[in-house]
Amino acid sequence: MVNIKFLARLAALSPLLLLGACSGNDGFRLFHPVGPVASAEFHYTLISTGVMMLIIVPTTVLTCVFAYRYRKSANASYDPSWSHSLPLELLMWGVPLLIVVALAYFTYQSVFLVNPAGPESLNETPGMAMGSDPLQVDVVTTDWQWLFIYPGQKIATIDDLVVPAGRTVQFRLTSATVTNDFYIPQVAPMIDVMPGMRTLDAFRVDHTGTYEGFSADFSGAGFSWMQFATRIVSPDDFAKWVAQTQTAPSHLDYAGFQKLAQPTINEDAKPAYFSDVDPKLWDEVYTGVQQGAVYPVPKETQTKAPEAKMPNARPGSTS
Amino acid sequence: MLVDLQGPWSPLFGRLTLASIPYSNPIIIFAFVFTALAGLAVVVPVLYYRKVGYIFREWLTSVDHKKIGVMYIILGLVMMFRGFVDGMMIRTQQVMADGPHSPGVMEAQHGYLPPSHFDQIYSSHGTLMILFAVTPILTGLGNIIVPLQIGARDMAFPTMNAISLWLTAVGAMLIMASLFIGDFSDAGWVGLTPLTELPYSPSVGVDYWMWAIQISSIGTTLNAINIITTIVGMRAPGMRWDRLPIFTWTTLSTNIIGLTAFPILGVALALLGADRYLGTHFYTAGLGGNLMLYTDLFWIWGHPEVYFLVLPSFGILSEVIATFSEKPLFGYITMVAATFAIAGISWAVWLHHFFTMGAGPWVNTFFSVATMLVGIPTGVKVFNWMFTMYRGRITYTTPMLWSVAALILLLVGGLTGVMLANPAIDYTVHNSVFVIAHFHCMVLLIAFTIFAAVIYWYPKVFGYKLDERNGTWFFATFTAGTAITFTAMFGLGFMGETRRLDYLYDPSWQPLLIVEELGIFVYVLSCYFFCRMFYVSIRDRNLNRCGADPWGTSRTLEWMTHSPVPFYNFAVTPHVNARDELAFRRSVGADETPPDHYEAIHMPKNTMIPVLIGVLAFGFGFGMVWRIWWMAGLSLLGIIALVIFRSFVHDHGYLLSGEDIARMEGKASQMSIMSETQDEMAMAEGVH
Repeated sequence: MVNIKFLARLAALSPLLLLGACSGNDGFRLFHPVGPVASAEFHYTLISTGVMMLIIVPTTVLTCVFAYRYRKSANASYDPSWSHSLPLELLMWGVPLLIVVALAYFTYQSVFLVNPAGPESLNETPGMAMGSDPLQVDVVTTDWQWLFIYPGQKIATIDDLVVPAGRTVQFRLTSATVTNDFYIPQVAPMIDVMPGMRTLDAFRVDHTGTYEGFSADFSGAGFSWMQFATRIVSPDDFAKWVAQTQTAPSHLDYAGFQKLAQPTINEDAKPAYFSDVDPKLWDEVYTGVQQGAVYPVPKETQTKAPEAKMPNARPGSTS
Repeated sequence: MLVDLQGPWSPLFGRLTLASIPYSNPIIIFAFVFTALAGLAVVVPVLYYRKVGYIFREWLTSVDHKKIGVMYIILGLVMMFRGFVDGMMIRTQQVMADGPHSPGVMEAQHGYLPPSHFDQIYSSHGTLMILFAVTPILTGLGNIIVPLQIGARDMAFPTMNAISLWLTAVGAMLIMASLFIGDFSDAGWVGLTPLTELPYSPSVGVDYWMWAIQISSIGTTLNAINIITTIVGMRAPGMRWDRLPIFTWTTLSTNIIGLTAFPILGVALALLGADRYLGTHFYTAGLGGNLMLYTDLFWIWGHPEVYFLVLPSFGILSEVIATFSEKPLFGYITMVAATFAIAGISWAVWLHHFFTMGAGPWVNTFFSVATMLVGIPTGVKVFNWMFTMYRGRITYTTPMLWSVAALILLLVGGLTGVMLANPAIDYTVHNSVFVIAHFHCMVLLIAFTIFAAVIYWYPKVFGYKLDERNGTWFFATFTAGTAITFTAMFGLGFMGETRRLDYLYDPSWQPLLIVEELGIFVYVLSCYFFCRMFYVSIRDRNLNRCGADPWGTSRTLEWMTHSPVPFYNFAVTPHVNARDELAFRRSVGADETPPDHYEAIHMPKNTMIPVLIGVLAFGFGFGMVWRIWWMAGLSLLGIIALVIFRSFVHDHGYLLSGEDIARMEGKASQMSIMSETQDEMAMAEGVH
């Protein structure tokens, strides 16, 4: 198996090398995964591509060779009676079948490793998918901002995700309005964020760093501005940041959330911080939507955004 | 009103007010002027040469499957051009709006399109290209070729065939209307719920999108019934199932998919309509609604729809490659088996469009493996085409160039498709432009085969070949544009660019965005050569007249009758002896002297009912979009009345006598699909 994997990687790398010069900061985010989950995803991207190359490369080459060699002007051998060959046809079904069997095996392996609801690649000890003490972060998307709630710390942020290095982060995600998609290309498996529904995601990054995150599923006029920073900081810095945020002057409960969730485009992804946050806020948003809460987009916003500035200013942002 | 509408409503005009017309937007004004000029360029000559009666008698009321097919293809090509302009605008916006410091012009902060306008453009790009460009063109090709390939006189239900065409045209017209009256959907061609619900899309855009698709998909379903019946019931004597040409096989499998899948789309959209018009909660987030219901229903149609498009393309490849390799298709039985295997598996893969919606690992694994299984029969097909070329004698006419390039595109699209089939990989590139590049490879493969097919069968319908020199330039520029644009797009996918972005926050994407824009310029060049190909060919048509088999190496039944095909197709229904009948007759040197007398033929009469149903369907759609209830109601009643009226008409055919056929056969090479049937008969009379 190691052999196959090695060959697969080698074969897969060749075209990818052409694309990305593979320096650290070349913009090809997906070639520079961070943390066990994203690394597993990239690993299996290479394996899958490699296995496919075993059949794609010879087929492409043969197609080109036949197309060139048997052109009329070449006067190559011509045999119009040859249109059927049982062994060849068996081979034509058999080889792709073997390839698919191999791919299916790797898929089966990888699906569990990167399953957003509990990636096995994060297992520190068998059976402990989330590590000993995962950090819980609740995520709510509105039109068109990200709200990150830290129920354990009773704090919340807008468009700023700060997590400690070396600790598993576990997310619960829901939307107050329409579907978004939680996406930090280098770090976390993509997962949809849907109104009235709960999805899960998790990751762990062992080194500090800052990565771009954004929504990947179209959600309306302000969609292009739905970015958030993902800052992986050292555990000490995280503790300091939590303590500092716990002194933020703005507080947040469900009533405050309903004001916050009015359609707003946060053009520069400017963060905001809240202390004394209701730890049950996520559940209230989730059940509220199920019971019919909507945050309608005014017709003018739908058709005119964003050159007309949003009417409501965001409540007290401190940074 | 059962729902809470934003804005005014009046019984006479519904939601329509003067303010609904976006006369202040320069882009829309330009589009309007362009469309109006293009329309005038068609209408003025028709009026000047007093051809209104001709257009009405010979085209609008025609039930001839070839004319209907030609109209389908013209509609599709026009919509493809509009879809291309949309694509060009999308690319230009993105290259202009990259980075926080990118300037904005007109009303936009970045680039030149504000988000809502940009969102409408990409939504109409997808809707047009898939449902109103590629689908009508392939339907039109099936319409023209299938009856000829099986030796039939027309489709099984000629009038219904015309109704299908006009319903499709109505859908396209509704989308064109949305450009100038109101707005189009900005929720993507897939109609993301609950974004399409009233609170989040209060304008009429979603209604335009919904009714355009709903009405045209009824046309597509009717056409599927028609094609299946024709193939099952109207084959010439001797055309056993094991002799059916591959294009006919693929069209049969495609229409089985069409017949079973399109009603699901109808239901999915009808439930959305209930939400938007009656205030129900099928797809709302709360009060018991569930957006997953829509997502499932849409993709249970949407994925088979992909194969609905690609299977006829595979059929075209099989015909073209065999003809120009001067060899029978390798592995006929395997090919048919692979076609139906793909059609079958296409029903079991829809969840791969939303691996990221949080289904468990076992569910994702099932759909992942099912998706990869599609790769097996597809691989078989590629090998079949490859071995058809092996020991062949390949002539590189333009259809063959398009076909070989399509094979390469299929390999790239297949590779990236199988990558996406693994959820672990999908989690990193789902909703990124990597996916866009992948499915453009597949849809462009279909476009490539469409160009191959149009050039390949054009002489059969019109009696002269298209210009090969300009055709080769068209091929070269279009292929170069494809390679440049989509290679860059794959790269951007790995950089993490997601789809549908009006403003791009990362300036490091700029170089590849510029490359994409360059590719678009090359595409514009290809548009020039496309038009020039037709211009030169039509100008020099009398120099390029051709016989029954213009390529000299064709193999199937349609090449046995005259080019252009007379309106009765075959003077004598051919008797089929072999799989590739024409190739068989060529090899045994069959005697082709005309018979001494012809049997009379029963032909369907032209009727204006289909085009009237089309006009009323437009009234219904437009009335529903703007909630002008009287208009929608009267139109619907009118359609029902017409259908009832039609069912009491018994006299819908006439008998073409043997003498008339004998006369026309004598002059067949001078006839044309463009001339009046009466003229042809008179001309034949004069010669006699």
